[in-house]
Amino acid sequence: MAILEVRNLESGYGEVQILWGVDLSLEPGRLTALVGANGAGKTTLLRTIMGLVRPWKGQVLFEGQDVSHLPPHKKADLGLVLVPEGRQLFTSMTVLENLEMGATPPRARPHFKRNLELVFEMFPRLKERQNQKAGTMSGGERQMLAVARGLMAAPKVLMIDEMSLGLAPVLVLQLFESLSKLREVGITTLLVEQNVHMALAVTDYAYVLAHGKVELQGPASELAQDPHVQKAYLGL
Amino acid sequence: MALEWTSVLSFLIDGLMLGFVFGVAAMGLTLIWGVMDVINLAHGPIIALSMFGVYLLMGALGLGNPYPALLLVTLLALPVGMGIYYIAVHRVIDAPHLSSLLATYSVNMMLMGVMNAVFGGAPRNIEFSLGSIKLFGGAITIPTARVVAALAAVLIAAALYAFLYRTRLGRYIRAVTDNRDAAELVGVPSTTILALSFGLGVLLAAFAGGLIATIFPFTIFDGGRYELKSFVIGVLGGLGNPIGSLFGGLVLGLIEGIVPMFLETSWTPVIEFALFVLILLVRPTGLFGGKS
Repeated sequence: MAILEVRNLESGYGEVQILWGVDLSLEPGRLTALVGANGAGKTTLLRTIMGLVRPWKGQVLFEGQDVSHLPPHKKADLGLVLVPEGRQLFTSMTVLENLEMGATPPRARPHFKRNLELVFEMFPRLKERQNQKAGTMSGGERQMLAVARGLMAAPKVLMIDEMSLGLAPVLVLQLFESLSKLREVGITTLLVEQNVHMALAVTDYAYVLAHGKVELQGPASELAQDPHVQKAYLGL
Repeated sequence: MALEWTSVLSFLIDGLMLGFVFGVAAMGLTLIWGVMDVINLAHGPIIALSMFGVYLLMGALGLGNPYPALLLVTLLALPVGMGIYYIAVHRVIDAPHLSSLLATYSVNMMLMGVMNAVFGGAPRNIEFSLGSIKLFGGAITIPTARVVAALAAVLIAAALYAFLYRTRLGRYIRAVTDNRDAAELVGVPSTTILALSFGLGVLLAAFAGGLIATIFPFTIFDGGRYELKSFVIGVLGGLGNPIGSLFGGLVLGLIEGIVPMFLETSWTPVIEFALFVLILLVRPTGLFGGKS
């Protein structure tokens, strides 16, 4: 059974409709990519799933439960966690305080120490910088902290928006390697990515979003061979 | 005009002590602004309401000093403040600033109207005495009630600091201040935290109002004066930086202590607001740093 299922989701901002009936389903333990052109509605989809944007129509099911109208903090409590676009860190707080904030859901608190060790192992740089203010870090470090903060919530499903945006290729590679480790510890991940080539190389399954709808879906390796995807998104 | 050093010192001591109390009032205003970008225009009437609350409760309980009443009124202010948030502020929290200004101004008008109808405009005075403290063989006398008020103000400021930086709830408040969406995403019930912050701001205003009532006579209209002082202090200390307000209060207290030595007292607000405009022009984040 899918751990997260989105059925016929529609939403938008004000009078402008962005999503036109999205269906999506995440299998437990799988690393799924969501790709698409700028303005296809990827970020809006994540924000609607979380409840930052109110769904107009359709349903969001988490572990079989209808959570369409729960506020974001209740979803985080359940284990549905978003690492938002643009990092959205607590810039006036230290790295450690950001990680402590990440462990806000009651179900994450008992595992605080273990999870802290895990993210410090994954991102040694954060351990070195734990007492530094988040606002004073470089772009790459901030992105690491955003992912690490998401992991501190002990997520069942982790959704990451535009992880590689604006980062140096070597850092992107490092972050993608970290993602593979997440799969090993059984975290289901939905990755929104600009870097389609890389995304399809590391994920198991992928969705292509266009004009607020799912245009294509399938195993990532198959999509990478699809002539339309190659032409439109991979520049081949 | 030759000034005795003793009178200079006593003006300064007096100013500093009052400064702490005014600082606490300003902390209430600036905490709310810092957390939710709302200017609480009901700040003044809340101060006045607390003055009357302490006065009436002390009479009703037949107490010899106002402090137990002050404690009760302060505790009561928290749920009252949270109520004001849920009823008047929450629905306009994401609207442009004008909407929340009008909302809190409406609360101001309603509180003033009710207080005017119930209490009238006559001045009241809390009658009690703790005697006075004599320094330098009686050359300087300080009313003990002022010393108590100043100490209480410092104590609550320290308590607020400890709450914000040493407790889980305090950390939630700082997180919501920093980035409300991000706080919500990590599992902080941000609406509850906003209401709590508003309640705390009102609690601080009420505490300061009660303390002022133990020092000066008051009318229902006095809240406005202290609200204006709170704005000046808030800008001095950095809007959104509640701890800076305590120091902003000290600066204002010093001005209020020093100006009457050289000029008519009526010059005090002129100088205070000149400083207010000056700070806004050259250092809008305040002397002690606020949020940008």
